[in-house]
Amino acid sequence: MVSGRPPILRLRGVTKHFGELAAVDRIDLDITEGEFFTIVGPSGSGKSTLLRMLAGMEKPTSGDILLKDQRINDLPANQRPTCMVFQSLALFPHRSVGQNIEFSLKIRGMDPALRRKRALELMTQLRLPLAYYDKSVTRCSGGERQRVALARALAYDPQILFFDEPLSAIDYKLRKTLEKELKDIHRETGKTFVYITHSLEEAMVMSDRIGVMRAGRLVQVGTPNEIYTTPRDKFVSEFMGEVNVIDVTAGATGRVSAGGLGAEFTAPPAPAGFSRGHLVIRPEFMRFLGSPSEADNHLTGTLYNEYALGSRIQYQVRVGDLVFIIERLRQQALAARLDDRVLFGWDAKDSILVAE
Amino acid sequence: MTGAAPEAASVTRGLSVLGRLLSPGPRNASPLLLLLAIGFVAPLVAIVSFSFGEPRSFDVFQAPTLANYRTIIEETFYQSFLWSLSFAALTVVFLAIICYPVAYGLVRVFGRWSNLITLFFVLPLFISENVRLYGWILFFIKGGVLLGGIKALFGVDMESVLFTPPMIVFGMIYVYLPFMLFPMTLGLSMVPTDVTEAASDLGASRWQVFREVELPLAMPGITIGAMLTFVLGIGAITEAKVLGGQSIIVITHDIEIAFTYSQNWPLGAALSVLLMLVVGVLVLAVLSRFDLDRILRRR
Amino acid sequence: MTDRGKRTTNSLIVAWTAAIIVFIYLPAVCGLLASLTGSRYFLFPIQKWSLVWWGKTFASLEIRSLLDTSITIALIVTTVSVVIAFFGALAFARYNWRGRKLYQRLVLLPIFFPQSVLGLALLLWFNTLGMELSWKTAVLAHLVWITPVVTLVISIQVYSFDPALEEAAEDLGANRWQVLREVTLPVLWPGIFSGALFAFLLSWGNFPLSLFTTGADSTVPEYLYAKMVAGYTPGVPVMGTVSTIGAAILLLGGYGLISLVRRRRGH
Repeated sequence: MVSGRPPILRLRGVTKHFGELAAVDRIDLDITEGEFFTIVGPSGSGKSTLLRMLAGMEKPTSGDILLKDQRINDLPANQRPTCMVFQSLALFPHRSVGQNIEFSLKIRGMDPALRRKRALELMTQLRLPLAYYDKSVTRCSGGERQRVALARALAYDPQILFFDEPLSAIDYKLRKTLEKELKDIHRETGKTFVYITHSLEEAMVMSDRIGVMRAGRLVQVGTPNEIYTTPRDKFVSEFMGEVNVIDVTAGATGRVSAGGLGAEFTAPPAPAGFSRGHLVIRPEFMRFLGSPSEADNHLTGTLYNEYALGSRIQYQVRVGDLVFIIERLRQQALAARLDDRVLFGWDAKDSILVAE
Repeated sequence: MTGAAPEAASVTRGLSVLGRLLSPGPRNASPLLLLLAIGFVAPLVAIVSFSFGEPRSFDVFQAPTLANYRTIIEETFYQSFLWSLSFAALTVVFLAIICYPVAYGLVRVFGRWSNLITLFFVLPLFISENVRLYGWILFFIKGGVLLGGIKALFGVDMESVLFTPPMIVFGMIYVYLPFMLFPMTLGLSMVPTDVTEAASDLGASRWQVFREVELPLAMPGITIGAMLTFVLGIGAITEAKVLGGQSIIVITHDIEIAFTYSQNWPLGAALSVLLMLVVGVLVLAVLSRFDLDRILRRR
Repeated sequence: MTDRGKRTTNSLIVAWTAAIIVFIYLPAVCGLLASLTGSRYFLFPIQKWSLVWWGKTFASLEIRSLLDTSITIALIVTTVSVVIAFFGALAFARYNWRGRKLYQRLVLLPIFFPQSVLGLALLLWFNTLGMELSWKTAVLAHLVWITPVVTLVISIQVYSFDPALEEAAEDLGANRWQVLREVTLPVLWPGIFSGALFAFLLSWGNFPLSLFTTGADSTVPEYLYAKMVAGYTPGVPVMGTVSTIGAAILLLGGYGLISLVRRRRGH
């Protein structure tokens, strides 16, 4: 963890308007030097626009961006000590691997022999075969191209690296490998990484801190664990994937009332001033019960559907209008059949209460 | 040498200031727009003003008159215009039928060879029309390849088919083939194979697939090809002069005669304005129906 | 559709296309035959095969001077049109700006315009300006028609240009000139080369515009036309065949070069 170091990047009220629409709406954020910060959000949340403003490809309509306490709003991209890895990677198709990596050094007039040395250093660090130096980038595989793009961005030693969803177009297995490698590179270089993605799962693997963005605003900023266990609202909690959400109102201490289900549940301590909100239970914390006393809360419903999801099985249980999702490991497949009545429940400590 | 340097420097400085004022789009467009302004728009404006001039005069700064336009209607000039239109229309119809199978072949049948075969069709565009058409003269003329060959083989003496109106259409079909073929090919390439397969799978016969799926989806390309051929066909002149032997005078020929032999620039200008109007209206009408970005992006 | 039905259709299509190609090149063959006669007139079948007219044509000073004029015009037109069209293509296909749709239509208009009428209009315009007609005015006339064509050709390449490449270069520290020189121009090069090829060939083979705007000077197509109308010699088909073969070599050579570059870039 990198807390305790000064913020390298500070955003104060950063806003970007496109006509009437505020794509980025008054963002305040401090990014610590050396941390791996990921901005997560659905498409259209404004995360790309925000990143481009930080990198210098767009100018904010209002607000300030400060790099080490220096205002850089008007500094063009080619003068910022930052570098971006694009979604399409933007590798120069007419140049070889080595030429791509050396580009920033060639522009700055570095001696060819020194450039080559630096390029080969980076290729070693990123586990690219040195023989690839003269290889055309269009002949490289997806994973290799990612590494070339990263090497190119690291070449002139920028202070911050920006990543614009570089892994979104890659298949699952390769993505998992590259996520781990990115995390290793981050640790080895010690540089600040600012990463954007639409997948919270991806962010959780790599980041020191995560910022969740929606409709141009930062909804929650925290460590992966904080986001996962204490989501600030329904949007953030649903962002991780399918969760069970029950609309509730405050009841007696430690209890909430679900009007729609005509039931009361034992809940974790409510946030201050809580009157209405949602009770969120993740599918892996729901379980089937033999009797109501086996858990703090229970419900009865009809087994509605069953999905095999690799190592887990997902069951959907209907209770009135609501559909609940319960996940079990494959080895623990349920004996019940579709349309059977089933009893299920959860413990209060495994649920989260979020305000409206 | 030294005197020129500061002037050149201030011009470049002025240009770069101007360049920075404009956004990249207009900035990059300005050289081309300037060229078109002085080389295309200006001459056309000159033509329009000349069309209102005194007949047979070269002085355009007199009181405007409609005499030239009246001449067109009263004398037989409108006939040559109708001939041009008919020839162009016939050419479009024939070429549509001739080119469709070839376009289909290029998109669906020839596979790897398509690029090479396209090259064969592109090459004629770079040889001037009179050279290409003269080859047909050598073919059809008395004593030429066709008639001379027939005489040598069968001893039959036939009349040449040259210098007749049908030959003009023949020549136009020959010259304008690429202009129908390429847009048509582009149009057909926009018909996804899975859509035609789906139609087939749902029970449509070959003819029905063509009528219900292929034709409508390829329509943008076919329309552009037809319009291009038609518009260029109206402006055709060499076919009528060379192959037609001037048996029919087409409108462009009339314009040329007015400008050269008759020395009647205002009349020539008026005829040109008429032609420009027809061409301009047609082109703009068809072009505004299509999103050029979408069509040209599909490569 | 049955497999056999499809195969019959396909063979019909191949046969039809082959027939059309024969149709297209038949005049060129006739031209070649007519150039190989020993007599002054063309009579088929040829009695006396001979290359004498080929020799006469290449030795002719008049032909040399015509070739000179045609090539000079073509080279100047190619250079100027490619430069103007390059920027014009960026405005056509890359940048989004307010007048763009109107600009696209305006650029396409000269291509659809009847060339003979354009030539006459330019003749009138040059006269009004008091300019003397020569090969220089022909250059301007060619430019008006050819530059839009080249713009279109380069635009097709620009449409597939990833703007992120320029952004990446800038992000890595390049200024505007460096971006142009290191990224934009090299990546767009195949389109620019095709455009240059088109420009050269279209200018070389142009007749209607040259006819009205060259004045006292003359290009090869103009000379050929004059000879076709009066004073035919087999030198005419000789030049015609030379034009055809020359254009074929340039075109096939250019296509081969571009395919090579494309394959090396992994397309």
